[in-house]
Order: sequence, then structure tokens, then C-alpha cells
Amino acid sequence: MKRLVVVGLDCFTPQWALEAWLDEMPNLRAIVEQGVGARLNSTIPPITVPAWTAMLTSKDPGMLGVYGFRNRASYEYDSLKVTNASAITARTVWNYLSRNRLKSLLLGIPQTYPPKPLNGIMVSGFMTPSRDVTFTHPEGIKDVLDQAAGGEYIIDVKDFRTDDKEALLDSVKNMTAARFRAFRALLRVDDFDFAMMVEMGPDRLQHGFWRYCDPSHRLFEKGNPYENVLHDYYVSIDEEIGRTVGAAGERASFMVVSDHGAKAMDGAICINEWLQREGYLTLKEQPGKRTRLTPAMIDWENTKAWGEGGYYGRLFLNVAGREPQGTIPPGAYEGVRRELMSALEVLGDEDGKPIGTRVFKPEDLYREINNIAPDIIVYFGDLDWRSAGSVGVGSVHLRENDTGPDDANHLPDGIFVWDGGEPGQLRRAERYQIYDVAPTILRFFGLDVPEDMIGESII
Amino acid sequence: MAKGFTLWFTGLPGSGKSTLAERVRDILLERGMKVEVLDGDEVRKNLSKGLGYSKEDRDTNIRRIGWVCHLLTRNDLVAISAAISPYKEIRDENRELIGRFVEVYCKCDIDTLRGRDPKGLYEKALKGEIKNFTGVSDPYEPPEKPEVVVDTAREDIDTCVQRIVGTLEQLAYIPAGDGRGYSDDEEEGIKQRLKDLGYI
Repeated sequence: MKRLVVVGLDCFTPQWALEAWLDEMPNLRAIVEQGVGARLNSTIPPITVPAWTAMLTSKDPGMLGVYGFRNRASYEYDSLKVTNASAITARTVWNYLSRNRLKSLLLGIPQTYPPKPLNGIMVSGFMTPSRDVTFTHPEGIKDVLDQAAGGEYIIDVKDFRTDDKEALLDSVKNMTAARFRAFRALLRVDDFDFAMMVEMGPDRLQHGFWRYCDPSHRLFEKGNPYENVLHDYYVSIDEEIGRTVGAAGERASFMVVSDHGAKAMDGAICINEWLQREGYLTLKEQPGKRTRLTPAMIDWENTKAWGEGGYYGRLFLNVAGREPQGTIPPGAYEGVRRELMSALEVLGDEDGKPIGTRVFKPEDLYREINNIAPDIIVYFGDLDWRSAGSVGVGSVHLRENDTGPDDANHLPDGIFVWDGGEPGQLRRAERYQIYDVAPTILRFFGLDVPEDMIGESII
Repeated sequence: MAKGFTLWFTGLPGSGKSTLAERVRDILLERGMKVEVLDGDEVRKNLSKGLGYSKEDRDTNIRRIGWVCHLLTRNDLVAISAAISPYKEIRDENRELIGRFVEVYCKCDIDTLRGRDPKGLYEKALKGEIKNFTGVSDPYEPPEKPEVVVDTAREDIDTCVQRIVGTLEQLAYIPAGDGRGYSDDEEEGIKQRLKDLGYI
């Protein structure tokens, strides 16, 4: 019987894990040397939701109908809803494994709340509302988690936006250690064929500590007390990987993946400030201080477009006959969209210096468009800059994030590290696609890859 | 742990019993149930090898399938029978024996069946080349009160599968497949966390 154990690390980034620090991570290096260690090209956008679901269904965001954490439920102005597992109709790898009588253990995979029944165990991910709801299948598994955690199993760190860096560091370290302990404890509960955990710690820590650790960040100071925080954390994760390889047993094949990576953030583009400046967005009243934009503040009859903040930008157009008070005649939609895209592409920094912004139309990216996609997707400065949604800032450019301290943005590459099961049969590449993971897992178990999976097995 | 039950398909040859049984099996397996399908054609190659198509042999065949379903069900497995099972009396006997028994009648008119006829069996039966062919030269007694009726001549496979699975959910014989979205309060809590985390 084959067994595959997958450690998922949200935001675990290739320039450190596969390059700068690999020699100091002997357990990860051993897996790379036995099999492959490559970059894993993420979804557009490279964000936790939809990236993990895309990885485990081999479907793009358009096919999934999930374009980010929040999606428009209708063309009303206030329809952005957070999607959970109930919005996913695409079949996951564990659906196929269950169907073929193979048993799965799943711990902390994003977008798996509320947990659905399966052949095995499911503990839902960080978007679980609280510990008071049912977040495991079967329910009794919660006790194993608490016991392994040595207290209460932690779903995600609290109070992330803090200036108390020591407290943040402690809570992320504790959470990561407890998640790995819980995973190893669950591995002993039954004889699983497929086991996968996802730990959010790397994402949380990198967003909180990047400027202290990356010499290329403009605020980096040599000799600062947190200079080695990320390095030491990566090394500690490698130790956890080593323990988990041991717990998985000799016959297990081992894989380490991330949904995307991280890089230094140069600043933020206030998308709505820019739309105001260019005459696309009109507010009923100009706020005197930095304010989060809400639909009620917008003078819709004089507005053509509005945007959302996040690691990437999303623009929505106010189209007549589509939005409640649409202003763009449907015949002019494509023209306005092209005009906006061209203007965004050439938008520079404060001094007008080009930053290399990339803009996308959803229909050019995805095989299908289900649900409501944004009209334009923007990578400001190719993700060196984030998108800020606030208004009343008084400037299009911000050198700090508008919603609290954060110095990292997402890199479109994650990692794919696998011992490969049996060497010599792998398709070699410097970079795989996130969609290749699910077909690879199915092929590992000798199953056929469903035709509607868009990736290609690397076996 | 979920209790076992038997899902009993009945209907004329070619009415869709095996196809539907396989589709329902896959869904139940995905939901973590332990499932076995006893397909009429397969059973006649092993468990009922040597039996013919007289009324007596047919009854023996269906009683054997019922007996195996009974054993699986009492061990908390899901047994799915996909055999013609033409006689009401024997089906009801099995219902009595098994207890947790869900009968699915695959209805389909004879013209549609003749049109489908992938193995050419109806054609041969109508020419008299096959004797004792149910629906042509042998009787079929439709169930009077099946738990589910699917009309495979008029309904597509997905609709039929959903009706069967929906009935099993209503009976609480299987767990629901889909959870709910967030409540308004939960959504607010999650949004605040996503904001704090910098995602939105």
C-alpha cells in the first residue's frame, strides 16, 4: 500500500526555502536531493483563497468561481461575500481518493470550513469562525487536537496587526509547533493513505517581520534584533519536517508545497484615490481623514469604476443595466476597460518612475468564468506594491500599508518539493504549475486523472 | 458511526439500474460510507452461477442477493442491489428481512428501452431468440410504494441521482454533502480577521 504525506506551508517562499537557506534545512534538502525541488507557479491572483483550492482540484479560479476571499454574490454594490467550502462544487483530490476507498487525513487546509464528510478525517482551516462550531469530521477528533496542542488547538493567530513583535513571534511559533504536533498525533489515529496539513505560520510571520529580515527591503536595518527571525523560523520548520518524516513511517512518500511565496513590499497604490483623481469615481462627500470606502459613500450616478484593496487590486465597472445605478453603456464597456488598463499600466511611483504594473482581464486568464469575476485584476508594480482601498488619504501612493504594519507582498511562485516516490519517472522542470499537484497525487495512487483537471501529472 | 442500509434498485433490463447504482455508490464513498454494489449481471457470474431464468431460479437469485445485503447492512455497510428483481413478493420478503431498506423503482417505457438496447437484447427477445426476457416474454411487477421513483426515459442521470441521494439524506441514512455558508455574524468576524491579516 502506498502512502503520501504532504506538508503545506502557506507563503513558504522559494528564494529562501530553495535557495538562500536550503543548506541549513537538511530535512528539506534531503527530499529535494532524492526527488525534485522546484518553483510552483500559483494562481492569478496568488492568494491563499483561491490558490489552495485550485491546487487540490486542478481548476482555475474562473472554473471554481472563486476570485479571492470575497466574491460578488450579485451585481449589487454591497454584495462582496466571504466564500467557504459550501461554495466549492469542484471535486477535490480527497473526493477522488474517498471514491476509490483510500483514506485521507486533512488538517487546516484553507476553504474547508464547514467540513464535509469524507473517508477519513478533516479539520477545517483558518477561516473557521471559532472553536465553538463544528470544525472537524468526525466531531470527536477535536479532543485529539487539544491534547496534542497541550491546551486548546489554535486555529489561527489572534491580534495579527500588532506592534508587539515579541508577542506575535511567540504566538506564531506556538501555533506552528502545535499544528505539527497535532498532525503527527492524527497520523497515529489510523492508517491513512493520504495525509495533508497546511500551516499558516509562514504567511503570518513574513507579513509581520519582512522588513527586519530582508536586506533588500528599504526599511531593513542591519543588526536589528529581529534580523534572524525568519531564518530561524524556516530552520525550525525544517526540524518539524524532519520529525514528521519520521512519524510518517518508512513506506510514506513525502511532499512539501506552498501556495505562493513572499517578497518585499515597496508601498501601496490607493486605487480609489487614483480613480477619483482620474475622474472615474465620485464621492458624495470627501472624507477629511483616511477612511475605508463603503458603497454608501459613493455618488454612483457619477461613478464609472471602484476598486478593492488587498495584495492585488480588483476593479469593478459601473455598467448600465448591470449595476443598480450603472453609468457605462454596455457598448462602451470594453472601451472604458481598455482605457483604465492602459492608464494603470503606466502609473508610476510618486516621482513618476515606472513600477511595471500588470493588468489582466479575467476572460484572458481563465478557461471559464463562473459567478462574478472582477472586471480588471491588477498587479501593482508586479506585486512589489499592494492595493489600498482607503479614501481620504490625500495621495495615490503610500509607503506604508493602509490597514496596519505589513512589509511583504505575495510572490506568484511557491515551492514544490517531493521525494518523487520512485526516482527517474518524474517530469523535470524548474517551475511546475499549481494545477499539476492534484493530478500528480492521483497518479501516485495509480488513479486516472479526470479530464476536467487542467494540470498535468509530473509522474 | 452511521448505520447500514440497503438501497434496492428494481426495473426492467436497460432501465438504468447499474448506471445509477454506480453513480450513487461514488457519492456515498466520497462521503466516507462503506459501500458494496451487487450488480445483477455480476451476481449471476459468481454468487448465482448456474441459475437460469425460470420463476424459481429468479426467486432464488433475488433471495441470495437479499441475504448478502442483509449481512452487509447489519454490519453497518451500505449494500446496493442492482438487479431486475421482477417479483414484488420476493422484494418485500427482502425488505422484511433487511429492515433499513430503500427501494428505487427505475421506471422506463418499453419504447425507450427498445430504442436504447445497447446489447441488442430487446431486439433478440422480440424476435423470440431469447426466452423469458423480462418485460417482453416474462412478467415484471412494479413496486406499489417504492421510496423513490425515477423515470429514466424523461429525467437525466443527475436529476435521478440527486433524488435518490436527497431521499437518503432526508431519511438521515447518510450525512448531508454540503454545509452552509457563514451566518452574518460569522461573516463579520471573518472579514475583520481578513482585514487584520492584510488579505482585504
